[in-house]
Amino acid sequence: MIEVSNLSFGYKKRKPLYNNLNLRLPVGSIYGLLGKNGAGKSTLLKNFAGLLFPKTGTLQVNGFDPKKRLPSFLQTIYFIPEEVYVPSLTAEGYKKLFAPFYPSFNEEQFYHYLDFLDVHDKGKLNTLSFGQQKKFIIAFALACNTKILLLDEPTNGLDIPSKIKFRKLISSVFTDDKMIFISTHQIRDLDNLIDNVIIVDNGELLMQASLSEIAQKLSFRIVDTIDDESVVLYTEPSLKGHAIVTENTTSDESKVNLEYLFNAVTGNPKKSKAIFKTK
Amino acid sequence: MSDTFSLKRFGLLLKKTLTERPTQTIGATCLLLLLSVVLYTIAKRLAGFNAAQNLTFIWGLAGGGFFLASFIFGYFNSTASGSSYLTLPASFFEKWLCGILIAGIFYPLLFLLLFHCIDLLFVAAYHNSLDPNSLFYKQQYESVYTFDLNGTIAWKVYFIFSFVTGAMLTGGLYFNKIAIVKTAIAICLFIAILLGINWLISIMFFGPIKEFGIYHHVTLEVGKADGIILMPSGTENFIRHCIGYCLPTVLWFLPLIRLKEKEF
Repeated sequence: MIEVSNLSFGYKKRKPLYNNLNLRLPVGSIYGLLGKNGAGKSTLLKNFAGLLFPKTGTLQVNGFDPKKRLPSFLQTIYFIPEEVYVPSLTAEGYKKLFAPFYPSFNEEQFYHYLDFLDVHDKGKLNTLSFGQQKKFIIAFALACNTKILLLDEPTNGLDIPSKIKFRKLISSVFTDDKMIFISTHQIRDLDNLIDNVIIVDNGELLMQASLSEIAQKLSFRIVDTIDDESVVLYTEPSLKGHAIVTENTTSDESKVNLEYLFNAVTGNPKKSKAIFKTK
Repeated sequence: MSDTFSLKRFGLLLKKTLTERPTQTIGATCLLLLLSVVLYTIAKRLAGFNAAQNLTFIWGLAGGGFFLASFIFGYFNSTASGSSYLTLPASFFEKWLCGILIAGIFYPLLFLLLFHCIDLLFVAAYHNSLDPNSLFYKQQYESVYTFDLNGTIAWKVYFIFSFVTGAMLTGGLYFNKIAIVKTAIAICLFIAILLGINWLISIMFFGPIKEFGIYHHVTLEVGKADGIILMPSGTENFIRHCIGYCLPTVLWFLPLIRLKEKEF
């Protein structure tokens, strides 16, 4: 469980990146944190991992204050930054040195995940390509079986087959007692993977909702012509006419398109906050 | 398991620190020890035993300690390695203790052991090479002895070692990139400021001065003669203790606080 209460954070004193942010994220979900470049996605993840400290407000992760970086807290969380670090060790050597720090590490799972992600090289990890290094760390992180897994732009550097495998692996390992938090600006990579969406922009929380809630509140349709532009949150020309996002005033639910959703919310922050009752 | 210190976790951390980057820890230690032997050999040929002993002791212990300490907390060159280090499930106390043990105990002990061994060997070889029937045998024999590890020079070097190694450990956590260069500059600046203040105080009290011993004395020109004014012993002792003991203590403990407070 992650609980954020009135969190403010900023790299510069007079320019806060986040101001009075409130979030309550229970376990049992795969969260997608969406935002433009520089929106503060990595910053938020680093606050969760205890790498950055909130200026004001409170933050509780798994019942711990991340700022203290207690070993018992760090054992329950694994943070994969956008750029990964691998020392000059083999996969076996890395496992021997790092795995004992994580009590729930499962060796069998580790080798299975490596195999699934096509990381077969037996050489030194630092000689692997960036994509292979990233897949190695993802496999290791998943095998650690921490309650919370924080992934910052995990698909950056992965080729298309690897992205597909990544999605499959995340879906297959996910259990109700875990939370996976994925931050990305490559929204398509999260299709059919996440069940909760968080959108931030300019340090402000614009939306936090489950996919079913989004489908209830917004309508994603293809129309020939747009009758009333004032109700349209986002529109994009498509082969069959216009793809539009509007507020859902009926009980019909449409399939959520994450890319359109992101554009609709970031393009209409005030309206979106009103629709989703974001504090 | 305690969140402050667990022997098992500390053992794992020490093993990880030593073997994760073998080139930088074990490799650098071996290289430094080897260089000390080379330095001793060359300096002995060029400048004699005393110079070789002093030079090797200073550069091997203080220089080597400084260089090795730059690797201890040298994880902050990149976001990836810095994040990995700070989020590793070990307490900040264990991480600090690990650094102190490697830079402050393991390396100096290894160096002192090696230095003493090569010193013994070289001195013994010299003594054996002398002709006992020579007229100057006694004089030549007594001109070379092994370096006194408890002597005045040795203690001065211990202070230098504790100062520069402590500064590097602290610098490694304050300067994220090229910490070794930045720390070296910081040390030079600190010494320059220390000398500058000493010089300013001297000219403030005595006007034009001929020479000054750092926080010890000033030499004044009185007519054609030179006069030396010593610093009051109480003040000198206070300053010597501050620089020799308090400053290194602060520098060795500051990383503990920094590891707790560091944001990355």
